[in-house]
Amino acid sequence: MPMNSKITRAPEGLSAGTASMSTAPAVGDSARAPLGPIKIAAKEVKVFYGEKQALHGVSLDIPDKAVTALIGPSGCGKSTFLRTLNRMNDTVPGARVEGRIEMDGVNINDKKIDPVLLRAQVGMVFQKPNPFPKSIFENVAYGPKIHGLASSKSELEDIVQSALKRAGLWDEVADRLHAPGTGLSGGQQQRLVIARAIAVEPEVILMDEPCSALDPIATAKIEELIDELRERYCIVIVTHSMAQAARVSQRTAFFHMGNIVETGDTEDIFTNPRERRTLDYITGRFG
Amino acid sequence: MTDAVTPSGAVSARTQKLQARLKSRYARENRFKWAGRAAIGAALLFLVILLSSIVMQGYTAFYAHSVTLPVYMDPARIDRAYPQGTNFEFMVAEQQMARMGVTDDAAGTKTKAMRDLLSSELKFIAGDRVRAQPALIGQTLPISTPLSDDAEMYLKGKITRDTPEEFRRVTDQQMAWLDKFKADGLVRSHFNSAMFTNGDSTQPELAGLLGAVIGSALMLMVTAFIAIPVGVFAAVWLEEYAPRNRLTAIIEVNINNLAAVPSIVYGLLGLALFINFLHLPRASPMVGGLVLALMALPTIIIATRSALKAVPPSIREAALAMGASRTQTVFQHVLPLAMPGVMTGSIISMAHALGETAPLLLIGMISFVPGISAAIDAPAGALPSLIYIWENASERAFHERTAAAILVLLAFMIVMNAAAIVVRRRFERRW
Amino acid sequence: MTWIFLIFMAVFAVLSFWGGRKLAVRRSQGVKPHSRPGQHGLYAAIGVLAPALAVMILAAVFSAPIERQLIAAGAPEAVSQLEPFRREAFIADARRVGQGGEALQIWAAPYAELLPTEGRRAHSIHAALSWGGMTAAVIAAILGALFVAFRIRPELRARNAVEGWVVGVLFACATVAVLTTVGIIFSLVYDSLRFFSMVSAFEFLFGTKWSPQIAIRADQVGSSGAFGAVPLFAGTFLIMLIAMAVAAPVGLFSAIYLSEYASKTTRAVVKPLLEVLAGVPTVVYGFFAALTVGPALRVFFNTIGGWLAGGPLDGIGQYLLLVQNQMALVAGAVMGIMLIPFVSSLSDDIMNAVPQSLRDGSYAMGATKSETVKKVLLPAALPGIAGALLLAVSRAIGETMIVTMAAGLAAKLTLNPLETVTTVTVQIVTLLTGDQEFNSPKTLAAFGLGLTLFVVTLALNVVAMRIVQAYREQYD
Repeated sequence: MPMNSKITRAPEGLSAGTASMSTAPAVGDSARAPLGPIKIAAKEVKVFYGEKQALHGVSLDIPDKAVTALIGPSGCGKSTFLRTLNRMNDTVPGARVEGRIEMDGVNINDKKIDPVLLRAQVGMVFQKPNPFPKSIFENVAYGPKIHGLASSKSELEDIVQSALKRAGLWDEVADRLHAPGTGLSGGQQQRLVIARAIAVEPEVILMDEPCSALDPIATAKIEELIDELRERYCIVIVTHSMAQAARVSQRTAFFHMGNIVETGDTEDIFTNPRERRTLDYITGRFG
Repeated sequence: MTDAVTPSGAVSARTQKLQARLKSRYARENRFKWAGRAAIGAALLFLVILLSSIVMQGYTAFYAHSVTLPVYMDPARIDRAYPQGTNFEFMVAEQQMARMGVTDDAAGTKTKAMRDLLSSELKFIAGDRVRAQPALIGQTLPISTPLSDDAEMYLKGKITRDTPEEFRRVTDQQMAWLDKFKADGLVRSHFNSAMFTNGDSTQPELAGLLGAVIGSALMLMVTAFIAIPVGVFAAVWLEEYAPRNRLTAIIEVNINNLAAVPSIVYGLLGLALFINFLHLPRASPMVGGLVLALMALPTIIIATRSALKAVPPSIREAALAMGASRTQTVFQHVLPLAMPGVMTGSIISMAHALGETAPLLLIGMISFVPGISAAIDAPAGALPSLIYIWENASERAFHERTAAAILVLLAFMIVMNAAAIVVRRRFERRW
Repeated sequence: MTWIFLIFMAVFAVLSFWGGRKLAVRRSQGVKPHSRPGQHGLYAAIGVLAPALAVMILAAVFSAPIERQLIAAGAPEAVSQLEPFRREAFIADARRVGQGGEALQIWAAPYAELLPTEGRRAHSIHAALSWGGMTAAVIAAILGALFVAFRIRPELRARNAVEGWVVGVLFACATVAVLTTVGIIFSLVYDSLRFFSMVSAFEFLFGTKWSPQIAIRADQVGSSGAFGAVPLFAGTFLIMLIAMAVAAPVGLFSAIYLSEYASKTTRAVVKPLLEVLAGVPTVVYGFFAALTVGPALRVFFNTIGGWLAGGPLDGIGQYLLLVQNQMALVAGAVMGIMLIPFVSSLSDDIMNAVPQSLRDGSYAMGATKSETVKKVLLPAALPGIAGALLLAVSRAIGETMIVTMAAGLAAKLTLNPLETVTTVTVQIVTLLTGDQEFNSPKTLAAFGLGLTLFVVTLALNVVAMRIVQAYREQYD
C-alpha cells in the first residue's frame, strides 16, 4: 500500500464554534474530522479483580475510522477498560467483567462470543514491544497461520508483505525477513508488533501505551503510523502522554478512579474541559 | 463460543473462513489439554501405586503371632547346672508331637518339622525362666514364644495351600499343626513391638529396626553439626562478604556443580578419604555423617543464600547507617531475619540425607550389624541401608519387614518435612 | 577423656573471655577505648581458642597415621610378616585385648602370645599420642592467652580483629565446597591412575567384555579379569533412555498443564503431591522396582508370550516366556517415575520465566492456549527445557539404588529393554561391597568407573547449567 498520506489533524480553529458537549460522539458532525459511525458502545462496564473493583460502571462510545485516546492517572482503569474490548481480562485469573460492550450491535462481553474469534477482529499492541522469539516473517505470519487465513505460501507472503508495508516497516526489513524479530530496535519491534496485529485484518486495534518504552524519534514514527491506520481501523489508544493524546486522537476519554470523568472531542477536552478534575489533570496538577 | 454470533453481525466470507477452522482448532486445544491432564494423572497414579503397594506389602509386619504352649520342664532334659544349654525347642516339639498323638517319627523328621514352626527365641525365653527360677524344673508352665518366620507367613495368609507343596516352605503337615494350635486357642495375634525394640537379626521374626534407627539418628546428628554451620557460614560469606572476583565465581560454580554430583561419587570420596586415607572406623555413623554432610552442604548453602537474598537491602542500609559494622549488621540483623528460610532449608536437606543410601553402601554400611550400638565410632546400621539389606534377603518374611521399614523411614521424612512446613508457615515473613 | 578435655577447653575459653573483658576495663580507665569490653573479651577468647583448635585439628588428622606407623615400626618380626589384611586384623584384636576385651579371631601359636604385649604397646602408643596432642593444645592455648594479655590496650582495635577472624572463618567455610571438589577429583584420579597402570585406558573405554572376577590366587583358572566398560556404558545409556522416555513427556506435559491450564487450587494440590514423589528416597523406588514393577511386568510379558507361543509369532512368544524380573525396562521405567517431578518442576520454572507479555501477545492475536504453548512458549523456552532435560539425564546416569536393586549384574551389550543389563553405578557398588582386597584391579576399577561417571555428569551439568543460565538472563 502506498504511504503517501500526510498526518491529518482535526482542523484547528473549528473547535470553538462546535464545542458541543454531548457525551455521545459527534457522529456525522461534518465540521469535524471524518469520524466513522459508532463501532463499539460500552455500557455500564464494571471490572472486578477478585474482591477489588477496578471499573465502576463505565460507558463509552467509540467511533470507527478514528483514534480514541483514553487518558488518566496511573491505576485509573484505562488499561483495564481497554482489555475488556478484546476480552484479555479472561486470561487474568479471578477477573470478572460485567456490563454490555456492543461491537456493531453485538454484545461481545457474552459467554457465547468466542474470544478467539473476537481477537481476530480486535488486534492489540502492548506497552512493551513483545515480538515472539521467531523471525520477522514468522512473527507477522503467526496470526494468519493460526487462523488459517492464507491458503498458500505465496498468499501468506503477500499478507506478510502488505502488513509490513502498512506498518511502515517493509523498507527497513525487506532484506532480512528471516532474521529474529527480537533483533530489531525498540521502535521497529513495536511496528513489527503492529504489523503482526494488522496481518489478521482486524477491524479494531487496541494500543496500550504503545510508545512508553520508546525514544522520541521512534515515538514520532509510531504516531505517524497510527494516524495513517486511522483511515482503515477503529483505534483505541491508552496513553500517559497528554501531548500524544492531543496529537493523534480525535476523541478523548478521561478516566479517574475507575470512572470516566469526561468524554469528548480531543480538541474540546484539551482546550475547554468541562470538569475541574480534567483541567487539573491536563494542566499537570495531579496524575 | 458459538458459530452464529459474530461481532460484525453479518456473516462475512472471512468470518466463515475463521469459523471453519475453529472446530478443528478447538479439538486440538482439547486434545492438548487432555494430554496435560493425562500426564498429571499418570504422575499421581504412579504415586498412589507406589505408596499403596508399599503399604499393602508392609502393614502385615506391624502385627505378629505368638504361640503359648504348655511346657513340661523335663528334669531329665534340663541340666540344672547349665539350664540355658538345654535344647528347649526340641523338647517342646517332642511334647507337642505327643500331645497331638503323632508317634510314627522314628527318623525325627516330623519333630524337626514341628520345631521349625517355633522361633529360635524359644530357647532364650525358656532358658531365662528356668535359670531365674530353678524351682520350675519339673513343673508344667505356659511359655509364650514367637513363631518362626515361615509359620508366621502361613498365619498371615502369605503362604497358602494353593501353592503345590513342593514349592512352599510350609508343608501340609505343618499347616495342619498350626491350624490345630489356632483351634486350641494357643495362637495370639498382637502388635509387633519386637520390630521396634530389636536390632537386626538373621531371623526375620526377631529382626528389628531400633539399631538402624539409632544409627541413622547418630549419623544425622553428625551431619547436622557439620553441614548446617559450615553451610550457613559459607552462604553468609558468599552473599554478604564475597568480593565479585574470579575466586568467588569459581566457588559459586563449584557449589552448583556439587549439588548435581551423583551421590555414589560422594561414597567413593568417603571410602577413599575417610576410610582408606584417614582410617576412620568403617561403617560408623561418624563416617556416614561426614559423607552426608558433604552431600548436604551445597543444598544448605543454596537455601541459605536465597533466604539471605530475600532480606531487603534497606535493612542492611539502615543498620550500616546507624554505624554498625558489616559483621554486626549481618549477625544482628540480616541472619536472624533469614533464619526461618535457613531452618526450612536445613531441615529439608536433613530429611533428604536421611533417605540417602548409595554412599552408605560404599563406606561399609552394607554388612550385617546385629544388635544395637549407640557408639559414633563403631559399625552401625542405618535405615536406608537396612532396607537394602533386607530387600536382598532371601527369606520371604523379610519382604514385609522391608516394606514396614520403608513406612517407618517415610514416616520420619514426613515428620521432618512437616516440621519444615510448620517453620515456614509460623515464621515466614513477606517483605 | 576427649570429652573432659573439650569441656576443659571450653571453660578455658569462657574464662579468657571474662579475663579479657576485665583487663580491657581496667587498662582503659580514664581513656576512651577503641572497642567495647565485650569485644576485647571475644578477642581474648579467640586468641586462646584459635591456636588450641589448630593444634587439636592437626593432632586429630595426623595422629591416626602416625599411630599406625609407630605400631608397624615397632612390631615383632612375626607380625610384620603377615599379609596387610591379616596384620590389620591382628592389630585390631591386639587393641581389643589391650583394653581388656576379647579377640574376635582365634590366633595361632606365635600370635596368641603376642596379643597382650602388642595390645599394651599399641595402647601406650595411643595414649602417648593423645596425651601429647592434648598437652600441645593446652600449651598453645596458654601461649595464646599470654599474647592476648600483652596485647589488650585501649587503643587495640579489638572489634576489627574479631571481625577479621569472623570473616576468615566464614571464608574457610566457603572453601569447604571447593575442597570437597578437590577431594573428589583427587581421590578418584589417584585410584584411577593406579587402575590404569594395571589395565590400559583404551581397553577400559573401548573394550566390550566386562568380567572383573579376578582369582584370589594366581594359580586359579581364569585369573585375569576383563575390564572393557562398553557394555556398562551401553546399559547405563539404555536405562537412561527408557527413563527419559517416561520422564520427559510426562514431566513436560505436567509442567505445561500446571503452569498454563491448572487453576490455583489444582496447583495447590498437585504441586505438593509431586513434591512427595520427589522426596521419596531412591532406595524405596528400588524396592518398588524390584518387588512390584519387576514381577508385574514379567507376568505381563510372560502372559503375552503364552498367547503368542505356538502361533505365527512363536519365536517372539518363546522369547517373552523367558523374560526375567530384572530387565532394563523395569529399572528404566521406575527411574523415569522418579525423574517426573524433577523434570516437571524444572520445566515449570522455565515456563514461568517466559515473560507474560509473550502470552498476552499471542492471546491478543486470537491464539488458543495450546497454540500459544506450542508456537510461542515452547519455542521460547526450548533452550531452558533442553537444559532441564540434560540435568535429568545426568541424574539418570548417576542414579544408583534403583539400578542396583532392579537391574542385573550381567554385562550385556544390548539395546533390548527386555534384557538384563548392568550399569556403571551398579558395578561400582558391586565391586566395592562384599569381599574386596586393596590394590586389586577389581577394587580400583570402581574408581575408574567413578571417575568416568563424575566426568560425564559434570560435563552434562556444566553444559545444562550454562544453557539454563543464558536462557534466564535473556528474560531478566
